[in-house]
Amino acid sequence: MTTTSPNVGQTFETVGVGTSASRKSLGRLIIIAGTLLFAAVLLFQVLYAAGVSASGFASWRPVFYAYFLWAASVVLGQILIRGEQGQRAAFVLPAVFFTVALVIFPTAFGLYLAFTDWNLSGSVGRRFNGFDNIVALWNDPFYWNALRNMVYYGLAVFFEYAIAFGLAVLLNADIKAQRFFRIVFLLPFMLSPVAVSWMVGKSIMENRFGPAARLARLLGWDNPAFFTDPWIARLSIEVMDAWVFIPLIMILLLAGLQALPKDLLEAARVDGASPWQTFWRITFPLMLPVSITAILIRIIFKLKLADIVINVTSGGPGGATDTVSSFIYREYRDRSNVGYGTALAEFYLIAIVIFITIALLVTTRWVSRYSTARAVDRV
Amino acid sequence: MRIDVYQRLMAVQASRRKFLGGAAATAASVAALGSTGVLGTMSRALAQDSASLRAEILKIPGVGMGSPTDADWQKVGEMCLGPTKATVQEGEFAGVELTFMGLNNQNLHNFLFRGFLKPWEAYTGAKINWIDLAQADYNPRLQQSIATGTVDFDIIEMGAPFEGDTAGKGLLDEMPDWVKAQIDMDDYVNYLKAPVGTWDGKTYRITIDGDCHTFAYRTDYFGDGSISGMAAVPTTWDEVDAVSKAVKGQKDPLTGLDAYGFLDPLKGWGGFGFYFLEDRASAYVKHPDDKAWLFDPDTMKPRVNNPGWVQAIQDVMDLIAAGAYPPDQINADPGATGFQQFLAGTGSMLCWWGDIGSNARTSDTSVVGDVVGFSINPGAKKVYNAKAGAWEEPAEPNFAPNMAYLGWGVYVTNRVSGDEKKRKAAWSAAAHLGGKDISLWMAAYPSGFQPYRNSHFNYDEWETAGYDRAFIEDYLGSNADSYNHPNAAIEPRIPGIFQYYSVAEDELAKGFAGQYKSAQETADAIAAAWEKITDQIGRDSQVKLYKASLGM
Amino acid sequence: MASTAVTDDRRFESLGSQRARFVATRILIYGVLLLWAFICLFPIYWTLTTSFKSAPDVMQGHLVPFVDFTPDWKGWRSLGLSPDTLFETSTVREEFLKRMGNSLVASLGGSLLAVAIGSLAGYGLARFPYRFGPMRNNDISFFFLSQLILPPVVLAMPFLVLYKELAFLDSLPGLVLVYTLMVLPIVIWIMRDQFMSIPIELEEAALVDGLSIWGTFVRIVLPLALPGIVAALILALVLSWNEYFFAALLTGATAKTLPVMVASQTGSQGISWWSMAALSTAAILPLIVVGVLLERYIIKGLTAGAVK
Repeated sequence: MTTTSPNVGQTFETVGVGTSASRKSLGRLIIIAGTLLFAAVLLFQVLYAAGVSASGFASWRPVFYAYFLWAASVVLGQILIRGEQGQRAAFVLPAVFFTVALVIFPTAFGLYLAFTDWNLSGSVGRRFNGFDNIVALWNDPFYWNALRNMVYYGLAVFFEYAIAFGLAVLLNADIKAQRFFRIVFLLPFMLSPVAVSWMVGKSIMENRFGPAARLARLLGWDNPAFFTDPWIARLSIEVMDAWVFIPLIMILLLAGLQALPKDLLEAARVDGASPWQTFWRITFPLMLPVSITAILIRIIFKLKLADIVINVTSGGPGGATDTVSSFIYREYRDRSNVGYGTALAEFYLIAIVIFITIALLVTTRWVSRYSTARAVDRV
Repeated sequence: MRIDVYQRLMAVQASRRKFLGGAAATAASVAALGSTGVLGTMSRALAQDSASLRAEILKIPGVGMGSPTDADWQKVGEMCLGPTKATVQEGEFAGVELTFMGLNNQNLHNFLFRGFLKPWEAYTGAKINWIDLAQADYNPRLQQSIATGTVDFDIIEMGAPFEGDTAGKGLLDEMPDWVKAQIDMDDYVNYLKAPVGTWDGKTYRITIDGDCHTFAYRTDYFGDGSISGMAAVPTTWDEVDAVSKAVKGQKDPLTGLDAYGFLDPLKGWGGFGFYFLEDRASAYVKHPDDKAWLFDPDTMKPRVNNPGWVQAIQDVMDLIAAGAYPPDQINADPGATGFQQFLAGTGSMLCWWGDIGSNARTSDTSVVGDVVGFSINPGAKKVYNAKAGAWEEPAEPNFAPNMAYLGWGVYVTNRVSGDEKKRKAAWSAAAHLGGKDISLWMAAYPSGFQPYRNSHFNYDEWETAGYDRAFIEDYLGSNADSYNHPNAAIEPRIPGIFQYYSVAEDELAKGFAGQYKSAQETADAIAAAWEKITDQIGRDSQVKLYKASLGM
Repeated sequence: MASTAVTDDRRFESLGSQRARFVATRILIYGVLLLWAFICLFPIYWTLTTSFKSAPDVMQGHLVPFVDFTPDWKGWRSLGLSPDTLFETSTVREEFLKRMGNSLVASLGGSLLAVAIGSLAGYGLARFPYRFGPMRNNDISFFFLSQLILPPVVLAMPFLVLYKELAFLDSLPGLVLVYTLMVLPIVIWIMRDQFMSIPIELEEAALVDGLSIWGTFVRIVLPLALPGIVAALILALVLSWNEYFFAALLTGATAKTLPVMVASQTGSQGISWWSMAALSTAAILPLIVVGVLLERYIIKGLTAGAVK
């Protein structure tokens, strides 16, 4: 990663503001005091929890508070010691401290669980079992089946993107009742996935009387069954998921469209470019960064797709619609097989992180090259 | 006294009609006789209005008046407060707060309990906080609470299969004797008496539900000139499957839509879907001389891939191949087969819990109320003897009604054990829900529960409520016959039983979708997964608990 | 002269064909818009009308109230919200209102907190080059984003244990914290883009005028970024309002929320379509109100941040 990463916009010139020595030492004092307090509370409670000392708090809540006190002291101390640099750090530190506070334990505990054999109904608790879970995962054809399904579902994002782009362009056109259409197009995003699964998946798509089935019959499909053939089932799930999430992509893209420099589009029109040409030569390239953000966010949501699958098909027929999350859900919740379920999820997490890191690297590089080329073009 | 009457009746193996007449007499004798002492006075006092009270509550809201609502539950709860008033002073539990965990299925379970307990709260002064769970969350939430020590409920609505997970781990409070008297435990049907509800000889459960699967069929599919071409209702699985194939391509006499035969759910249902394969399999594998039918009791080796089970799976696969199911059946779970299909007029036969019977008449969902009949689950002409490792062909078909889930009960956790006032309050609330009169109402109206007391099998009471006599004899008779069947397939109350079911229905769904080559291969996959679970949970302890739960 | 006439003619002609094309385009545009509006609205219409249907009407797929079925307050009665039950004691309505209140507190609380610290972080990441050990801005952004990736189901046990130790189980503050964590990544992502689009000159001028960095942020940048903040807030609200998994896991008797009630409409006794429809309708209403009131901010807010 380069020093001036492309995602960071314009940054300030460093303005040197001197900090006096006394302020610095006060800052250090505050940090030390905060750290000592936190360490003391932590130690106090750890000893109690370990059974070494007899007195302690009823819960770890005071430690949680002490952590935030410590975090506050660090932020304050930073400002005093490092002046403006400290003030800058103070913007991002609260979010960092907050996230770390809530995820550090679950992450560590989750990693540990991935290497244990823990069935909640077991007569003994969790047992460390090394790489057994990983080996089992490797040999579990239905987990790989779910992963393969994720690839299909992931690719479908590009269709959703195309539809959302089209809708965004229409909403951005000079139309009547624009506000009405915008609100209406946003509505599907607001329904809860559980309601979508039942009201759409099990009611509208019901094969005897559901409106979708009746429409299908009208169009010549004699015996409509939306969840029997593997590909149709996958498509049905995808359609429901797309219905919910297209609005999200659409508003991100619409926002991008509205921010396009009008003069550029005007210039293209004056030059006699057809709307089609204008779109491909100007609009689409300018929309690339926001498109990537939209697709990325959408893919992340897609990778968590579970509710609709669990409620409508339970992964069937024969695992055709299974997502990794719904697969893990059955292993983890229905079978209380926590160790293996966690291992499956950690593996998935690592796979996703690698995938997204590569995707980000490739796209940022591609976009920056693309926009440089375009800049040269314009000159 | 009552037990005597009951046992005598059982001893002479009364015909269904006779037996039920006797049961009515049993109920009457309870009302008339009453023992001595405080409890005797109590029950005598109650007995005076009992009959009229029972008739009154059955009129709320009345059969054919649509599903009951909150106002009805509160009214019934209020009217059935008698036993509580006899044991608890007004305002005695002021300041007590209890937490109740149960299912939150719309208009059932907790919805009813809330309405029932509202007047109880008003009378006793206690306050109940509710933890509502969707059915799919129930098992995981319970297991997670136990495993992490975060049990946060004082009273829990729970099925007997979970007794291994809770009572077995010492999490429950033993039932006080006054509760046993208040709820009249002797009135329970036989199979729900100890050992069900007990663990190591201690009683923990107030039963509020009895469970068994019965065979429900459409009467208009059978008889002379019917579309199935069969004069009589099928009683064995090969006959059932023959009907499925025979009615294919014809039109349903009630709805005019396509006619279908037996409705097997081909999709899982959070573990509950496996019961429906058991319905088919128990006839093939539950040998009258052997209590065990899921595992070998000495080794916990699964029997699910023995020829009997494979036959049951093969039967379903044959029907799939014959195209005998409605479209999209591969995506139909038992909720769909029962409520979206059978009650809505699609398909002609299914095995389900008994409450589909009261639903057929009282639920807003049903259109088949007038053309539905019941009997015990179909039998099989051959039965596999696992001990001998061979098929046998008995003179009469082998019947083995499936006591799926053993019914819901109300339990009190050990969180209240240290506080006598709280403990009494918790048991009083639980006993109110498990009361004899209130239970009649729950058995008659959509509640999520089915009959579980001998006193529920009194036709006259149901007739007063507006049920048609022939229908109720048929419906209740199928339940009674299943409960009292000598070869009933009883579910083991071992820890993690739903894990076995969950993985089994998952593998079955794959098999039905053609992911495995054959029925045998599907069954082998289930067996392998079961072995894994047994090893995970601990084979030795499972063997011990499995034997104990079978009474071996 | 003649030539002018010809050109005029030609112009007329081209105007005519342009007009034809214009009309055709309009018809196409409105056709597509109406079609998609139908696709968006139909399931919601279906849900709304189902709350007034009885079972046979649902089963037979009746569509138009008063025409092919007689509407009934069924679904709403089961919630104690129909005209005839509204003034009676109803345990179901009490339950519904309690959950509605909890949902409001949890989702509003979580979203507001996330927007507060997410905006700060977004601004920092947009303006200042950071370096935490080997991590730079992009890595920090990705660290936040990665919190969004893990399927929530695997966080079940860890969170249960953590919350038990922190005594946060079944408490609204606990739920607020989880929701904050859940929506923080997307808030940071949106706000970072948002701040990047604000011209830096304004801030430089303010700094020259002697305002501190924080003073500039509060007095100059925040007002400019307000639409973006509202947009992020709405997205956060929608996501946490419908959150089901943690709500089912971490709450019990006191902090329970609405989505769990929606999910509970299904179970061993089939589905109460009407109740589920009524509940879904009731649950989406607050969001629709928010959507109608604040819709302009969503686009405006995201607009500012979308393209730099």
